[in-house]
Amino acid sequence: MITLYDYELSVNCYKQRLMMAILGVEYTSVPVDFYPGWEHKSAEFAKINPLGHIPVIDDDGFMLRDAHAILVYLASRYDPSRLWYPVDDPCRLGETAQWMLFAEGTTNTASSARLHDNLGYDFDIDAVRAGAHKLFRVMDEHLWFREREGLDWVVSGAHPTIADIALFPDVALSEEGGISRLDYPALRRWTDRVRRIPGFVTMPGVIALGESPWD
Amino acid sequence: MSPGDGGPGPASDPRHRWHPIAAVDDLVFRHVYHGKLLGRELAVWRADDGFVNVWENRCLHRGVRLSIGASDGRELVCAYHGWRYANRTAGCTYIPAHPADAPARTICNRTFVAVERYGLVWSAEDPEGEAPPEAAELAGAETLVLRNLPVNAGAGLVIDGLAGYDPESLAAVARRTGDAAALQLGDGTAIVFFVQPVDSDRSVIRPVMTPAPPAADRIGVLRRHSAALEALRKNLEEEAARRPPAEPMTPALEQVPIHLAELPEPSPRGRQAPLRVRVARKWDTAADVAAFELESIAGQLPTFQPGAHIDVHLANGLVRQYSLTNGPGQLDRYRIGVKLEPESRGGSAAMHHTVREGDVLAVSEPRNNFPLRRNAERTVLIAGGIGITPLLAMAQALHHSNLGFELHCFARSPDHLAFGETLDRLGDSVTAHLGLSPADTAAAIARALEGRSPSDRVYGCGPAPMLAAVRELAEAAGWPAETVHFEYFANPTEIDDSSSFEVALARSALTLAVPAGRTVLEVLRDNGVDVASSCEVGACGTCSVGVIEGEPDHQDVYLTSAERAEGARMMACVSRSLGPRLILDL
Amino acid sequence: MSVSGVCADPVVRDQWYALAAVDEIGADVSTRLLGLPIGYGLGPGGAARAWRADDGAPIPARVSYGYLWASVGEPPAEVFDVPETREPDRRIFNAGTLGLAVSAPRAVENFLDIAHFPYVHRGLLGDEPHTEVADYDVVDRDGEIWALGCRFHQPRAAAASTEEVVAQYQYRVPHPYCAMLYKSAPGHPDRLDAMGIFTHPLDDERIRAHLFLCLLDDVNTDATIRRFQQTILAQDMPILENQHPKRLPLDPRAETPVRCDKTAIAYRRWLSSLGVTYGVIPAGAG
Repeated sequence: MITLYDYELSVNCYKQRLMMAILGVEYTSVPVDFYPGWEHKSAEFAKINPLGHIPVIDDDGFMLRDAHAILVYLASRYDPSRLWYPVDDPCRLGETAQWMLFAEGTTNTASSARLHDNLGYDFDIDAVRAGAHKLFRVMDEHLWFREREGLDWVVSGAHPTIADIALFPDVALSEEGGISRLDYPALRRWTDRVRRIPGFVTMPGVIALGESPWD
Repeated sequence: MSPGDGGPGPASDPRHRWHPIAAVDDLVFRHVYHGKLLGRELAVWRADDGFVNVWENRCLHRGVRLSIGASDGRELVCAYHGWRYANRTAGCTYIPAHPADAPARTICNRTFVAVERYGLVWSAEDPEGEAPPEAAELAGAETLVLRNLPVNAGAGLVIDGLAGYDPESLAAVARRTGDAAALQLGDGTAIVFFVQPVDSDRSVIRPVMTPAPPAADRIGVLRRHSAALEALRKNLEEEAARRPPAEPMTPALEQVPIHLAELPEPSPRGRQAPLRVRVARKWDTAADVAAFELESIAGQLPTFQPGAHIDVHLANGLVRQYSLTNGPGQLDRYRIGVKLEPESRGGSAAMHHTVREGDVLAVSEPRNNFPLRRNAERTVLIAGGIGITPLLAMAQALHHSNLGFELHCFARSPDHLAFGETLDRLGDSVTAHLGLSPADTAAAIARALEGRSPSDRVYGCGPAPMLAAVRELAEAAGWPAETVHFEYFANPTEIDDSSSFEVALARSALTLAVPAGRTVLEVLRDNGVDVASSCEVGACGTCSVGVIEGEPDHQDVYLTSAERAEGARMMACVSRSLGPRLILDL
Repeated sequence: MSVSGVCADPVVRDQWYALAAVDEIGADVSTRLLGLPIGYGLGPGGAARAWRADDGAPIPARVSYGYLWASVGEPPAEVFDVPETREPDRRIFNAGTLGLAVSAPRAVENFLDIAHFPYVHRGLLGDEPHTEVADYDVVDRDGEIWALGCRFHQPRAAAASTEEVVAQYQYRVPHPYCAMLYKSAPGHPDRLDAMGIFTHPLDDERIRAHLFLCLLDDVNTDATIRRFQQTILAQDMPILENQHPKRLPLDPRAETPVRCDKTAIAYRRWLSSLGVTYGVIPAGAG
């Protein structure tokens, strides 16, 4: 059984909860008093992650930190279809890595803006917002052309990958950091598609689409 | 001004002109597109019937953006309180906090026109003309919508910049028009760049090309123009950043009608709907007949007897009566059947078109004004069309108790026979009479009424002419009036409410004047005397009151002629007085 | 109409505002209050200090209910009374402070709203199809708005609840930008949990909302309770930040109320009657 060191309002923890929900992986959540307790910075937590951040997973003694690394692990270990982390297709695997790195960028801009606005983190708010808009323009164009090819996800092919999971929370919560998605219609449609993946779960701030529309 | 007329810059108010607000491709299945035009935010969505809705992006209740709500293909549901707004009208159809109440019909979001042309969706706040003007360059050949590009620059600056667009050095000939720039390229293609004025400092370039390149080349063409426009955008945004910032546009929000500004009063006394049920299942059980299974959302459904009906309070304010078709002991769900009436005043149409699985309905407790006597040796049930519903409950009760009965179902065709699966379980006791002429129907009824024994009973439910035939034929066959029972769908009588009189309430010690144009029921309620009612047209019998003295002017179809002649009861909803005064047992 | 301006509204200006939970204050903090740049911190012995950022001039500051309160005007002698804080068996702490791009009155009105529970707090404070809001009473008590006798079906009304209940609620609005809620306390049939939203208005369209707790819960840890309450507040965030306009319109014809909005109607009328103009769109100004 996986243990997830977790904070409900963390986008990076949400990425793991979302991936595990979609893959049907059971796990135990150990709440970390991120705010106001700053428990992840405590000496006690340093034994779990000396870098002092969450998420961290403990899969029967195998410890792993860093959100996007954990996604790689979860998909590699718990997705027998090998579609979420497409190791059998070099092109798709390369694209997945490319967009996972891109997601580091959305986390460092859009999600930083959110930490600034919600929890008062000391970031240059104008700079992180401008950075997020720059990345969203790239994503919107990319997804618009994907749609022209009849494709739904950031990586080519018919199936979503961990890159969609890594990007979704940063995008879906961008408005909490003052980053409107009005100018990114293809990005908005992609967030609908992610929200319709079977097994999808929300986090506070992410609005569910309601009942399945395919009735 | 259109791109086709070569005119100068626009002089008219931009609110009167048509502008593109989205690409047709943006409106994918059950997606709510977030748009903005001239500073006004829009929620744009295509319903499953193809209709494109362009609404103010604001729920009338608390101002929440509808673009964060969900489309179910027929309605848009606000994310805050679950208020539902209908396709086409934007009228509010349901307020979950008050499931028993009809939303005021005028709770209606602001809508704007929508026209699809050149692969774009066009709208306008207050348009001149029925549709956006023609663009001469785009006439005739097939068009291709290029990738749109939002720009942080005002529309005028963007249009000026676009006039110099010639990424492939094709010696483009440009024409700048009011809201667009049109280019004739050297290779025979033309591109019209429609520019959507989002706000004073923001625009969206929406290019349309003609003729459309061959399918194999399209992605390449789209990519080239996308890249060239991105380069142009960079310059435009740098230029815009050098200019003094423009004040954002502040379009006025309409006020809600005055009567919606006040808290609505609670439902009037009288027709109460204390039960909340959820539509657990809805299906087509016959041509134009929808069946519904309703389950309780809290606690046990109240018991009912065969022949009972419930009032369904619909979101459009109408109250309709539907018989329960359940068999005995089936108290997990109420089951009703609703025929779509071509003349529907909104009741059956709402049940058919608006109510769906998962909805919560406010309904009354079951009431039975059509009770089944179970002391007959033989019971003859005669159903016409949707009149099967109460008789189906009776037939199942009789079947379960091994009591002899015959259920005669008259219908236009096998497709018009509702609840066929239940009828099948009743075996040989059911006879279907399909597609008969009126004469053949009368003959079949006459045969069904043959061989009467003293304890036998007849129950009829169906259209008024058929019930009249049953009444006549039963009388001719020697059935005493008190052995023949009817339930009418409605009262075909035109009610005459021109009389004025007095009612004295024996137990309440009140004397009330009933003027012309007011019903006894209304006058009673105005004076705090509550009488249960249901159909309120003299058909169902719920508001029956005892008459101690005086001669009622009945006008209902519920009472038998014997009961009418006796004059001991009357229907408060339609009955009046033939004399100046009635004394009622209230 | 000025946006994000410095407050010129004397009613709002002359109030106390909670800036931070005392036990979350470390070094001195720079912020804004009603559009005015200020600083605050704790002096020797935990004394509250606050000052204008431009000239360093001190402004009124105090500690109440575990928060540092300050004012940029001439505030009353005391912060409004919360008598429950004097009951020794209650746990008093800040569940969390979150920044929100909305006016304080919009946030307060949302705090007073029950009907959104099944939609915004699905599975926690409400669930479809139990969406009906029964009638309740709104009264004026000593110039404060009180909503009494509110009842709502809840799957999990509080961190300490394990099963569905019909929760009893009372609301109280003692301050234009703050509200209290009293609700049935699991395991204490005769008493009510108290909690509040204390807003720190950075300006007229942006706040920091503190969730103040004064609970009888003797089962859960602070962290568990905080997690629950932070989840609730974060679920409200996308709704509040998507309200347009961000300032609360006081004109009765700006938005449509229904019966369950009685408290909100009373609140809007009360703000109008106090003459509040900041963080709202006054009647007739829209």
